[in-house]
Amino acid sequence: MSAVSREQLRALMGEVLAQQGKTLPEGDDALLSDIGFRSLDFSELALRVEDELDDELNFDAAGLRQINTVGDVLDLLTEIQAA
Amino acid sequence: MTLGLSGPHLGNRITDVRSGKTTTWAELPGFTIPAPAAVVVVSSYDALPAVRAHAETGAEFLVVAAGRMEANLRAELREAGFAIVDPSGEVEPAAVSREPEDGRLWLLTSGSTGRPKRIGHTLASLTTVSGEMAPRTWLCPYSPGTYAWWQVVTLGLGSPGQDLVVVDPADLDSWVEAGIEHGVTAASGTPTFWRQTMMAHKDKLAQVPLQQISLGGEPVDQAVLDQLKNFFPDARISWIYASSEVGASIVVHDGRAGFPVEWLGRKAEGRPVIDVDGDELVIASPHHGEGLDGAVRTGDAVVVEDGRVLITGRISSDEINVGGAKVSAGVVRAVLQSHPDVAWAHVRGRKSPLVGSLVVADVVLTSGATDAPDVLADLTRWSTERLPEYGVPRRIKLLDAIPAKETLKSDV
Repeated sequence: MSAVSREQLRALMGEVLAQQGKTLPEGDDALLSDIGFRSLDFSELALRVEDELDDELNFDAAGLRQINTVGDVLDLLTEIQAA
Repeated sequence: MTLGLSGPHLGNRITDVRSGKTTTWAELPGFTIPAPAAVVVVSSYDALPAVRAHAETGAEFLVVAAGRMEANLRAELREAGFAIVDPSGEVEPAAVSREPEDGRLWLLTSGSTGRPKRIGHTLASLTTVSGEMAPRTWLCPYSPGTYAWWQVVTLGLGSPGQDLVVVDPADLDSWVEAGIEHGVTAASGTPTFWRQTMMAHKDKLAQVPLQQISLGGEPVDQAVLDQLKNFFPDARISWIYASSEVGASIVVHDGRAGFPVEWLGRKAEGRPVIDVDGDELVIASPHHGEGLDGAVRTGDAVVVEDGRVLITGRISSDEINVGGAKVSAGVVRAVLQSHPDVAWAHVRGRKSPLVGSLVVADVVLTSGATDAPDVLADLTRWSTERLPEYGVPRRIKLLDAIPAKETLKSDV
């Protein structure tokens, strides 16, 4: 299975939020704390990506970093797919 | 040999669903057990001549289904002094010679937590029913040699008026029609067995003249009890906690999941003493296997809710750690299975970043549909209303049929 594109990642992130009656704003700058996207949601998004890839993601490859915005989430998940 | 109420009742009848033949214990073909022996059988019915031979002679033996008899187990049994009697009748001698133990029966544990262990019993320790029983025709759907199989078989041999209709796990699709034809009035099965039956045979199931329904072998939740009550409003519905190690130790007839918390620590002559240590069920049982007297840690997890002690599953697989918060897979499973569109659910933890594990579920809908986004959304709402946030399944996969193994369990 080929990598999940940034656009697809955004759609999957939108699905996670929609399930809770929340909306993913356009653009990458929205703060996760403002849109109510928390660690459980991030974990669910990672599982959705793994299901698309039919493979496990290796988060060790990403190193430690701050994840504050929608763009940070999309960047991280794009990066570790390439690792 | 003394057995059950008044010894072997060889006039009780046995019907083999596979062949359609009905016979009595007395009419079964003769069998000589080269004790100690492991008797390998392809079908449940094939094991019964050896059972009768044991009841008459006390010859040491165990029954094992051919599907379980792997090379390792075969070698292990031969090293332990057992001759192997194959389905063809050929006998492979034991690797080590030893004196047989009179009256000894062995059961093999399921091996779900490792290699199968041998647990020593006798016909007396396997016979847990006492008192007068109304005549019944029992369905025996279990894999030969398991504790549940022995429970039904000793009932059929040891209590007057208890006939058997024997069906193999591989032929379970045909049991409802056979149950109607042969007038099955009592049936014992796992919750998975009953869920499969209600899903696959909903049009005909109520025609089986059941008066007694028993469930065991897996956690029993309120939903499956209620669904069975709808099919059989006049039947007695019981759930039983039993294992090879502690025997049949908890029997509940009030139609509710779990048992009253007042039963914990209660002592009565000839009755098991049930306790909870931490979140583990601990039982001291008079029906225990050899060497297992005293309190036995069962490895099963419990939670107490509304004055009832609910058994939620194996401790090793029941607890899911979501970011430090502990969730019982059994509790989540019971919530999913209480949804009116759900026929069956299996809940587990799935490794995930940041929180360690997330709760995920496989679900079979009563409709069998695998593409039902509205129901999926409703299941998430249903779970959110009844569980803490970290207990809500984050991924739900819809399957088209209830998966089950030869043990009639879905290994939840």
